[in-house]
Amino acid sequence: MASAPSKLYADDVSLVVVLLDTNPFFWSSSSLSFLQFLSHVLSFLNSILTLNQLNQVVVIATGYNSCDYIFDSSLDLKRSLENGRMPVMCSSLLQKLEEFSFKDEQLSKEEPEGRIKCSLLSGSLSMALCYIQRVFRSGALHPHPRILCLQGSPDGPEQYVAIMNAIFSAQRSVVPIDSCYMGAQNSAFLQQASYITGGVHHKPQNLDGLFQYLMTIFAADLHSRSFLHLPKPVGVDFRASCFCHKNTIDMGYICSVCLSIFCKHHKKCSTCGSVFGQAQSEAASASDKKRKTPET
Amino acid sequence: MNNGGGKRINGGTEEDDDEDDVNGDLDAWERTYTDERSWESLQEDESGLLRPIDNKALYHSQYRRRLRSLSSIATAARIQKGLIRYLYVVIDLSRAASEMDFRPSRIAVIAKHVEAFIREFFDQNPLSQVGLVTIKDGVAYCLTDLGGSPESHIKALMNKLECSGDSSLQNALDLIDGYLNQIPSYGHREVLILYSALSTCDPGDIMETIQKCKKSKIRCSVIGLAAEMFICKHLCQETGGIYTVALDESHFKELILEHAPPPPAIAEFAIANLIKMGFPQRAAEGSMSICSCHKEAKVGAGYTCPRCKARVCELPTECCICGLTLVSSPHLARSYHHLFPIAPFDEVPPSHLNDPNNKLQRNCFGCQQSLLNPGNKPGLFVVCPNCKRRFCLDCDIYIHESLHNCPGCESFRHSKPVISNEE
Amino acid sequence: MPQVKIIAKNFMDMVASLPAIKLDMLYRNQFICEAILRSLPPLAKKYVLQMLYIDVPITSKSLQEWVIADGSSKHKVAIDRLIQLRVLEVIDRKKETAYKLNSTFQTNLRKHLINGGILPREPMPSNVTARLPTLEELDAYAHGQWECFLLQLISSGQAERSTSFSSSMMRIFQRGLLRQREKEVPRLTESGFQFLLMDTNAQLWYVIREYISNSEEQGVDQADLIAFLLELSFHTTGEAYSLNTLTDDQRAMIKDLADLGLVKLQQGRKESWFIPTKLATNLSVSLTDSSLRKQGFVVVETNFRLYAYSSSKLHCEILRLFSRVEYQLPNLIVGAITKESLYNAFENGITAEQIITFLQQNAHPRVAEKTPAVPENVTDQIRLWETDLNRVEMTPAHCYDEFPSRDVFEAASDFARVHCGLLWEDPKKMRMVVKAEIHMLMREHLRGNK
Repeated sequence: MASAPSKLYADDVSLVVVLLDTNPFFWSSSSLSFLQFLSHVLSFLNSILTLNQLNQVVVIATGYNSCDYIFDSSLDLKRSLENGRMPVMCSSLLQKLEEFSFKDEQLSKEEPEGRIKCSLLSGSLSMALCYIQRVFRSGALHPHPRILCLQGSPDGPEQYVAIMNAIFSAQRSVVPIDSCYMGAQNSAFLQQASYITGGVHHKPQNLDGLFQYLMTIFAADLHSRSFLHLPKPVGVDFRASCFCHKNTIDMGYICSVCLSIFCKHHKKCSTCGSVFGQAQSEAASASDKKRKTPET
Repeated sequence: MNNGGGKRINGGTEEDDDEDDVNGDLDAWERTYTDERSWESLQEDESGLLRPIDNKALYHSQYRRRLRSLSSIATAARIQKGLIRYLYVVIDLSRAASEMDFRPSRIAVIAKHVEAFIREFFDQNPLSQVGLVTIKDGVAYCLTDLGGSPESHIKALMNKLECSGDSSLQNALDLIDGYLNQIPSYGHREVLILYSALSTCDPGDIMETIQKCKKSKIRCSVIGLAAEMFICKHLCQETGGIYTVALDESHFKELILEHAPPPPAIAEFAIANLIKMGFPQRAAEGSMSICSCHKEAKVGAGYTCPRCKARVCELPTECCICGLTLVSSPHLARSYHHLFPIAPFDEVPPSHLNDPNNKLQRNCFGCQQSLLNPGNKPGLFVVCPNCKRRFCLDCDIYIHESLHNCPGCESFRHSKPVISNEE
Repeated sequence: MPQVKIIAKNFMDMVASLPAIKLDMLYRNQFICEAILRSLPPLAKKYVLQMLYIDVPITSKSLQEWVIADGSSKHKVAIDRLIQLRVLEVIDRKKETAYKLNSTFQTNLRKHLINGGILPREPMPSNVTARLPTLEELDAYAHGQWECFLLQLISSGQAERSTSFSSSMMRIFQRGLLRQREKEVPRLTESGFQFLLMDTNAQLWYVIREYISNSEEQGVDQADLIAFLLELSFHTTGEAYSLNTLTDDQRAMIKDLADLGLVKLQQGRKESWFIPTKLATNLSVSLTDSSLRKQGFVVVETNFRLYAYSSSKLHCEILRLFSRVEYQLPNLIVGAITKESLYNAFENGITAEQIITFLQQNAHPRVAEKTPAVPENVTDQIRLWETDLNRVEMTPAHCYDEFPSRDVFEAASDFARVHCGLLWEDPKKMRMVVKAEIHMLMREHLRGNK
């Protein structure tokens, strides 16, 4: 298991893994067009790379049907200088992105449409963490890694367990997850992710000024963060999603054997197969009473 | 070295006297080498040259073995894990615990690893509680009551490490039996005894006590630090626990950490139950409200009970107004990887990579590292049985030991076998 | 090593000390804007980016609000640096000061962020250039050149081939590093020894700085030189660039840079070109404190023996500074750290800390994995031997006090100073301690005054 590394570069050298939400269902309904969004993000990536020669940026696309790496500054800047221009970054990123969206779209044709048009955040988050582990393994000298989620799609409750797993793994290896949420409702998953891992969560008021938000909040390296006024969480949504209907709930029933969450009372736990003897109301109140005794 | 040598000898004789018992007659430089055993990491190759052992392959094969043994248990249908555990850790503080066959002494080693164990325990078993009991001078004391905060246990333990007198298993078991009888029926009752002594000095018939424990469904496990004892073995056999004896410090650490993951629940041990719980939201930083637990106005983030909207300061707790059990959902989610384990990946012989039909993926799907060894020789890699994505060995370990997600399965909508079958 | 920072800072100070017009001219060049941005402290970088798209001046008060109370000292450092480099322009209003980004700097940086960086010049197509050296060859070349230069710098006799630097130029580099008494072999000065123990980037900056300040005397514009050097660091390592794209001044300079190993010059059938090496591209990196470290080669054992896996003469010379080199194999130097060798080093002005950091930074990768990389008993002993030299010294002395007036006191202290006998004085309380040797003289003097 990875622990916090001991020797590092100078404090402000950072590796930013950006998770880009490319879900077409979201962008078609958003006030900011995907192209505008991209131009903000490209400038942001450029400025991260400008800040320090050793800074590194990796972009992973979070699609509707798949996720993939679309840019890695450690590879792309060294390669392909045929046209002699540094904006290889932009061109290679855009090219990969186009290929990716095409493939992503192809996959969706085979699929009946789901009820919530969420993107596969759990997948890209897992990939980002694998990448960061590789950076940790690469030796004592490596940049400070962090993850930035640029997410617009709503939470996909069926990803709940996977996203939580990823969050805890990030917490264990001290990788902060920053999140910038551009959708309509706030995302409970991203709020929790940033809260648990010590990252910053922000929901910009005005998407036209996205670049300024990105620069002001998310460009700060981990070292400078200890001196800066950054947005504080305006409450964290700690709701969970139930295992039976994938609803997001704030009150529910927990199986005492496996801790699965259900929104209604069941006779049998669908996860571990335990049979619950008593009726719902009794069980709840009885256990409440019993719990009180040992604690007082 | 003319100058240094003379000084060393003079200085050494003075210090030797008080250091002797701890470090034997080794010099400082000798000690570093005995600890590291650097010669053991060398290997002879075909031509008789010495090479460092390829630790990576070795490490990975060890890990595969571990994974296989775990998954073979897990495949036995749906395993029920006892996730709500009430565990008493019994620490033997009798004369025997001050022996120095473990360096610097048994009790120091025990304390060090109990600390690590308690932290790991709470990480893996949210909602569970631990209590500490010590045995000293033939009497068992309750050091800390059952509780959910690792810090308070560790602090209490570190202050009480003197050893003296005899040890008594029966006294400890009787004491714990009394405490554990009060816990709710869905909780799993467990005792973990770290036993240094080679005897037990009991006031009555210990066999009766063992039967009593068996009746109250307390699972007793023992880790011995000296030699195997019949009575411990008997106790564990009767109550369904595990009895192990540590060979050395690292073995002891391994043995104690084995008790951190939740044990497979035996259906009759605890009655399954549905518990009603609330997942409160965290209020904004700097907001001000009246806290229901301290009955005073407080500034700063608190949590709001979803049923009665009262404010509480900390989780997990019970709402003092409506009595609802309040937990933070991330707390619960820490244990979900036990419920939805990812299948072990299949090892693929390297020759497949050069197969012309199979030129799909040359990089690890997780970290993008090339699966080819330096010199374009194909290396060892693994494949997820569900999504058929390829991963490098390092990612394999990371995915199974820490992440508990398969990045390949997570990034494809149509192939989500683990979660979709819940519906 | 603290020296590294000072050197790097001095270079930026040099940039900062350029007249305003020249600075503005410098900022017309995109690469310089980028290099300057990179050289700033982290917080300052953040401010620049944050203010990039704000066109109105920002009051210092609102700027202060960006940081929390703990960071106010860092905030001040950042703002001072920005003003010093004229990146921030101060606008004084009636009551409060406001800041605004330098407009040239601002436009250039905006351009850079939107369009991405543009290469300073196009590399030559591969069909024109002959076989280009691989990156490893280039690295080897650069290090070879650099070591050759260093060897020549410290002892001109030892270098196998001499660089084309004129002896007057060489003497300028040696100024401050070597001290030559008449008819004597030049000896390294304190700073010279320290110079040798620095890492390559720091040494490079020292030399470049000397080079730039010297060129001023020869009528080349400092700003041009700085611009060219910074620009060079944005070229791609290993690519060939035509010499025709350079101005005359630059062409003259590139020959010197080739001697330092910053670029490799090659000649084709028609054209000639230069290939920047890692040393050149790392120039702007070294402006920040993070140093790219090369692989170490030294193993120190607990018995004070020292093994250096290196065939370089320079390394041998450096090790000789503080250890007794016992024998040399083709790729291995074996030595021992002894009291005598260390006393030698201390006499030359090298401190124990410098030796220890050198050993730690150049530790062989195998031992660098361990902590500590250098055995503790060795580092402790090095420090102990150093403190041995700083023992209390006993001087028989006499203390004088209760002077009748300040005049008498001052006259007495002057008298003692003239006779080199004043050890300590406290003018406020009118007390002084004087060496015993001049006690008699002193008494005479005081009596005479009465």
